[in-house]
Amino acid sequence: MRRSWMALFLLLLGACTGPVRSTSVYESKAGATAETVASAVETARLAVQAAQDGDAYGRYLTQLLADAEKDADAAQGTFEGIQPPDRRADQLRDQLDELLGQATDTLTELRTLARRGRFAELAEPAAPLAGLAEELHAFAEAHA
Amino acid sequence: MAGRVLEAGLQLLDRQLVDRDGRLAGKVDDLELELPEGGGPPVVTAILAGPGALARRIGGRLGAGLEALASRLREGDDGRPARVSFAVVKRIGSAVELSVPRAELETNRLEAWTRDHLIAHLPGAGDAPE
Amino acid sequence: MKRLFAVALGILTAIGGFVDIGDIVANTETGARFGMSLAWVVVVGVVGICLFAEMAGRVATVSKRATFDLVRERLGARVALVNLVASLFITFLTLAAEIGGVALAIELATSVNYLLWVPIVAFCVWLVIWRVKFDLMENVFGLLGLALVVTAVALWRLDPDWGGLLHGATHPAVPQGEGHPSWWYFAIALLGAAMTPYEVFFFSSGAVEEGWSRADLVTNRLNVYIGFPLGGLLSLSLMAGATLFLEPRGIQPGHLSQVALPTALTLGKLGLAVLLVGFFAATFGAALETGLSCGYTIAQYFGFQWGKFVRPADAPRFHLVALVSIVLGAGLVLTTLDPITVTEYSIVLSAAALPLTYFPILVVANDPDYMGDKVNSRFSNALGSVYLLLLLVVAVATIPLMVLTKAGS
Repeated sequence: MRRSWMALFLLLLGACTGPVRSTSVYESKAGATAETVASAVETARLAVQAAQDGDAYGRYLTQLLADAEKDADAAQGTFEGIQPPDRRADQLRDQLDELLGQATDTLTELRTLARRGRFAELAEPAAPLAGLAEELHAFAEAHA
Repeated sequence: MAGRVLEAGLQLLDRQLVDRDGRLAGKVDDLELELPEGGGPPVVTAILAGPGALARRIGGRLGAGLEALASRLREGDDGRPARVSFAVVKRIGSAVELSVPRAELETNRLEAWTRDHLIAHLPGAGDAPE
Repeated sequence: MKRLFAVALGILTAIGGFVDIGDIVANTETGARFGMSLAWVVVVGVVGICLFAEMAGRVATVSKRATFDLVRERLGARVALVNLVASLFITFLTLAAEIGGVALAIELATSVNYLLWVPIVAFCVWLVIWRVKFDLMENVFGLLGLALVVTAVALWRLDPDWGGLLHGATHPAVPQGEGHPSWWYFAIALLGAAMTPYEVFFFSSGAVEEGWSRADLVTNRLNVYIGFPLGGLLSLSLMAGATLFLEPRGIQPGHLSQVALPTALTLGKLGLAVLLVGFFAATFGAALETGLSCGYTIAQYFGFQWGKFVRPADAPRFHLVALVSIVLGAGLVLTTLDPITVTEYSIVLSAAALPLTYFPILVVANDPDYMGDKVNSRFSNALGSVYLLLLLVVAVATIPLMVLTKAGS
């Protein structure tokens, strides 16, 4: 009886953390990361659009942008912590890293502007978000 | 209240105790039985209530844990569970109705302690619900 | 006329009080990932809660005893203890989730970090439980919760392809790119959110608190059969909003700010303000209910005096349990565990505990000793048995699915 509980516990533990042994697992984690960051980027896009339409509270928009930035940062941080098992995974990582970097930089900039109440200036830094979202979605689809 | 034959398991155990004023006074956690002198079926002489009595019925490790908790909560008495003499039982219906107010029952000790040491200190404890 | 007013109030309160943080999170996350393909689960859940809430209310009204109270009598101390431990654990987790939810709602309105609000929220929850009269408490938060109707208004304003939405709802299929295990896992979560155990304890204890009698049986039925389904519609409008706004963009609503997106962007500042009131009322009301339910379940198992209908000094242990539960619940949130994550776990674990909580109700509602001539009809029993079977299957499937899908990721 006790052994089976131990087994279940270890299974759960393994499911939560752990080094990645195969490329396909690494690939799916990369895909999941891309999905999460895409979600953050899309959220930011909506927030910027709302700012331009004058639709919502500044406080709410700031919260949205801060949440998006937090999500993207967390996803990037988790992904960075995973060791790529081989060269192909290395390539995958470089590819995603570039997208992640762009995303987090843009989101940070947007959040900073919003915190200072400069909503009118959001449009320009937010311009690359559309393309970024597309690339991230495509990456996620290809590697999910 | 003399001489009523009950299926103690079905009709008495785990029933709600209600005092003279309609206040809830615990559950019938266990029964104290006495074998009459001249033979015959055992007679219920008292109702036992409180964590100590319940622990014995539940048994096992859970019961032992409950017993340990109960002995911590009792204020240094002889270590037996709270006892409600069957003499104060007025009626047995859907609940077990008693003829005394709960303040007079042994089972009320913990409740009184909680009230006096904790709840009574909070403002508004004695106010009727507004 | 007064009678009509009372009935209307009861129904409106039931609608507004239906949704809590679990429903908010479950329906929005499901809509964002699976569209309307799991809408049928909400229907199943609503029918289930209607069935068992009516039963629990009837039991309390006729026997004047709350359901949990009778569980120990009917099923014995040991079985009832297992029931107590499971129910208490789930209700406590839900309480923590609701307290977190209130704090998140206030954070969204004020931009002040939610952790700072937690102690204040906990104190206010306790204060209302301590001082405010039961029906006043229920009516105020129930009616304020109606503010969530704004999600339906937003939906209507969006003028969506209703046919498409309906089609998605009536043709349940796992969307492309998603796996079957995740789909079923979310189905379980939705069911757990719709049928949370505390609702039944609270409903039956509430019937005793408000002193319902046989004359109120009809009112009980109306509240449940009209109020709860309409409340379920609010859940579905959250799901639909997420389907229309979040799913096409691949947005995963892990924050309350994202949950508010469909309404905020469709109805602007005013819509958002009303939505925040709704979030606050729904979560605060549910925090009150779960806090009280912790007290109800323990008091009703051990048999000590419970209820807000007596002075606090006459129910000291009941109030102590409620107080301690609130403090511990706030403590759990203050460990900086994400309240949304706590919510997700609470609803899934609720689903796993459902057979334990609902089975005794079915047993008690059939007992002529307590119910007299108001025992269950054959139809209620048949439907109730079907549900118990379903809930048993759900309970067995929950943990394996949780492990398999890594808690739905």
